[in-house]
Amino acid sequence: MDAFSYLFASWLQPELLALTALGTFAGIYIGAIPGLSVTMAVSILISFTFSWEVNHALALMNGIFMGGVYGGSRTAILLNIPGAPAAIATAIDGYPMAKKGEAGNAIGLSTVMSFFGGFIGIAVLAVAAPAVSEFAIKFQPRDYMLLAMMGILLVGALSGESLAKGIFAGAFGMLLGTVGLDPMTAEQRFTFGSVELMNGISSIALMIGLFGVSEALLQLHTLHIPAIKQRVDKIIPSLADLKKYLPLSLQTSAIGVIIGALPGTGGDIAALMAYDHAKRVTKNPEVPFGQGAKEGLVGPESANNAAVGGAYIPMLTLGIPGDAVTAVIIGALFIHGLNPGPLLLIEKPDMFWFTVGNLTLANFFMLIFGLTGIKIFTRIIECPKSVLFPLILLLSVVGAYSINNSVSDVWWMLGFGVLGYFMKLYGYQVGPIVLGIILSRLMDDNWRRAIISERESLPAFFTGMLSSPLSATLFVAIVLILLGQTPLWKRFKARGLAVPEKS
Amino acid sequence: MSKQQTRRPGAIAFNAVILGFSLFMFWQAYLISGFSALSSPGTFPMAMSAIMVLTSAGILIKSLGLSSPGGGFTGFRKEILPPIVLLFSLIILAFSLVLKPLGFLLASFLFLLSSIWLLERGRFGRALLLSVVSIIGVYVIFRLIFQVVLPEGIIPERAIISTIGDYFSGRH
Repeated sequence: MDAFSYLFASWLQPELLALTALGTFAGIYIGAIPGLSVTMAVSILISFTFSWEVNHALALMNGIFMGGVYGGSRTAILLNIPGAPAAIATAIDGYPMAKKGEAGNAIGLSTVMSFFGGFIGIAVLAVAAPAVSEFAIKFQPRDYMLLAMMGILLVGALSGESLAKGIFAGAFGMLLGTVGLDPMTAEQRFTFGSVELMNGISSIALMIGLFGVSEALLQLHTLHIPAIKQRVDKIIPSLADLKKYLPLSLQTSAIGVIIGALPGTGGDIAALMAYDHAKRVTKNPEVPFGQGAKEGLVGPESANNAAVGGAYIPMLTLGIPGDAVTAVIIGALFIHGLNPGPLLLIEKPDMFWFTVGNLTLANFFMLIFGLTGIKIFTRIIECPKSVLFPLILLLSVVGAYSINNSVSDVWWMLGFGVLGYFMKLYGYQVGPIVLGIILSRLMDDNWRRAIISERESLPAFFTGMLSSPLSATLFVAIVLILLGQTPLWKRFKARGLAVPEKS
Repeated sequence: MSKQQTRRPGAIAFNAVILGFSLFMFWQAYLISGFSALSSPGTFPMAMSAIMVLTSAGILIKSLGLSSPGGGFTGFRKEILPPIVLLFSLIILAFSLVLKPLGFLLASFLFLLSSIWLLERGRFGRALLLSVVSIIGVYVIFRLIFQVVLPEGIIPERAIISTIGDYFSGRH
């Protein structure tokens, strides 16, 4: 098998090895520093890496993704500030551990468990993706449409305070994706007579604006909050601890992969569900949950890294991103001329196996960097925000400029930055916008293909949808997601399930 | 963000603007191809903008029902648009304007210097040092290692770099 040789491509080429290491290292810090996010880093980097060979760019981004999901746990444990949403659950028990002087222990354990989780996620990706893509070839256009719809709805429904705002953001993103010449009829849509708008709105400029500029502007609100320092001692976790928590780690990794693989849900939700699971299956914890239980650390940390591998499954096999980060990575793949979808694994198996091998490599680097360099870490984390935010903004502007060497992309980026700033303050999510602009073309094309094949008849469309098992399942899932957001179901859920709150 | 019973200052105005924008986009989507066919280029944009109109109307109605935050314009300035954010946005705007004419090095340096100076609350020496260090770091990583093409402007950096390169390779 020729394609398999690509599995170790990034292990053997010094350049790729270095880029993966650099990405993972940077990812850990980006994930750890509150205010910096993986989405922000990847969206800014796309504009700098699109002239590279695709494998080089992928190596860097895979590293950042892997390291970033883990990195959030560091600050969650040390400062009680989750560096990334995926680490919110980690702070619940990690910070109490640090307060008791067990910060080193907590970091060590969460590092090794993240490694386990990451590995399981990648293994499932390697096994499941080929099967899923074989299955996906049989998908009808309407199934793609329904899948994309489900993804956007899930992101909108789960990540924010209001479903209406999530749906609005998703639809807004889809609408932005239609600006320009219609790919089927070359008719102008929303161009307002401008030649520049005919090419559409650059999704990269939009991402940098929404994730880079708006986030940096928001962080200016809380600029002068001093950080608390913790003493960090022994990091390498004891073998007894590892043995004891391995079963739990395996269970929560499974949760992580599944949640990660669902379009629209990512590491943050996986971590919260894993925390809940850990709480339910641990009958007699040594230390109560919320006061430094190691189970409360193992669960979410295994799950959020397992979700990374899971998130690549729909991204590579269906072309549907699982969450905001994979939406950005898909944007990068498009730019490199790749077309994620069921044919990707057939046409470019080398790229798939390269990704699997490269993620594994990044996972090893994460383990190495996670268990060492804690001294440097505590110093970098003290990097003054007064330098950090100007730097982010600088890179955002320069990044947007270098997409096409044109200032107009900078204006778009700034516009979306300001819009995103206000949207976030008024409780709208920006994740669905990015997912929307990425999925817009797929939704539009597949809707039109589906309705043309039914000779423009809506009743025939619905009959076809409900008589195909797959389409019917997806349709029911969408209805359930919508119903799940109604007040009645929320009251029912509040009684049965106690969602852990950030302490 | 935690659940709040009072609305944020300016929420009604913002949601109203969003609704107005959605209505405008719906009208524009209708102009593409009207109700001619379900597979026409305008159908999908019309559906999306219709969803935007419906959801934003719902959001606006809901925010009208929440109690007023009070505080008037002072509250808005404190919670939504503090002076530092406004000032910073202006600095970014100025930076974007001069990026091409002045070139990456000079424009970025001035941007970093002024913004760090602002955030450091007037310690100029420190701001100068930090911005020099940052600009060198960014230049080395992105221009020299990643080979990103950056606007050159008035500092002939390419000529300088190649002179240095020649010098080291003994071609001087």
